[in-house]
Amino acid sequence: MADELKFPGNGARADRDSLDESLVSLIREAYSPPAGEEYWAGLESRIMSRVTSHVAADTPWWSVLAPWARPALVAAAALFALAGAIDRQLTEADDPAAYESVVQSVTPDVLATSEELISVERGTDGATLSYFLSH
Amino acid sequence: MRIPDEERALAEAARAGDQNAFASLVRLHQRRAYLVARAIVTVHEDAEDAVQEGFVRAWQSMDRFDSSQSFGAWINRIVANAALDITRRRKVRTTEELSDALRSPFRDPALDAELKTRLTQALAQLPERARSVIVLHDIEGYTHTEIGEMLGIPGGTARSDLHHARQKLRGLLQDLRG
Repeated sequence: MADELKFPGNGARADRDSLDESLVSLIREAYSPPAGEEYWAGLESRIMSRVTSHVAADTPWWSVLAPWARPALVAAAALFALAGAIDRQLTEADDPAAYESVVQSVTPDVLATSEELISVERGTDGATLSYFLSH
Repeated sequence: MRIPDEERALAEAARAGDQNAFASLVRLHQRRAYLVARAIVTVHEDAEDAVQEGFVRAWQSMDRFDSSQSFGAWINRIVANAALDITRRRKVRTTEELSDALRSPFRDPALDAELKTRLTQALAQLPERARSVIVLHDIEGYTHTEIGEMLGIPGGTARSDLHHARQKLRGLLQDLRG
């Protein structure tokens, strides 16, 4: 077995002082990775478990709401538009009624009161004038 | 270097936060990353730790990954850094421990026991960086520049390290010459 180790490199590699192929294959053997597929599946799973726990540790509690941000914005906009439409409709329906109620009920009273005041004022003015003229 | 479309798409999806895409990248690159880590830390368990740590760091830094570059080269550099961190933390390790560590359960039992023992002892006696450079260049086929990037040294230093590491390994195995 020892005869297989011939130094230095035998020209199979471009590098002049490279190690003998048999020695390289022995080192390769010494450093060979695990061969079983289940080992690599297990390692992948351990890596991803650490990645996932890292993600969970780094994620702020409010970020769970992040996926709902877009639907929530859309819903809020729709609600806002709906509220606006309802408000406009109520305002449009109320305006003529309110106008009519003000015009029909308040205006005559106001007018009546105004006419009374005018007549009172006229009456008062006349009495005052008569008082000054007579004295 | 041409980046496969599939890898580019996976990297972009992972950068956008897709964990399934990142899992696919792990599946594609974990073997190679393990070999890089193993070349640096030697011990199987440490290599596994470095691979896990490297991929977690990569996930954390995905926003800084340039998808026009190779994800494989990027992850190998990160894993190499993680492996170097482990070696810094565990600087004191005896030759005997390293020899034991190199007797991996994944090797062919038919190999000559004495030769294996001598080789593992010789590798264990090499300085850490020399051993890494030999394994990364002669076994994994990385260029001096790539090794330099992984180990944080200039490519020229990786080249001269390789030369001296080979000389030292030959010296250690001198009496095995045919």
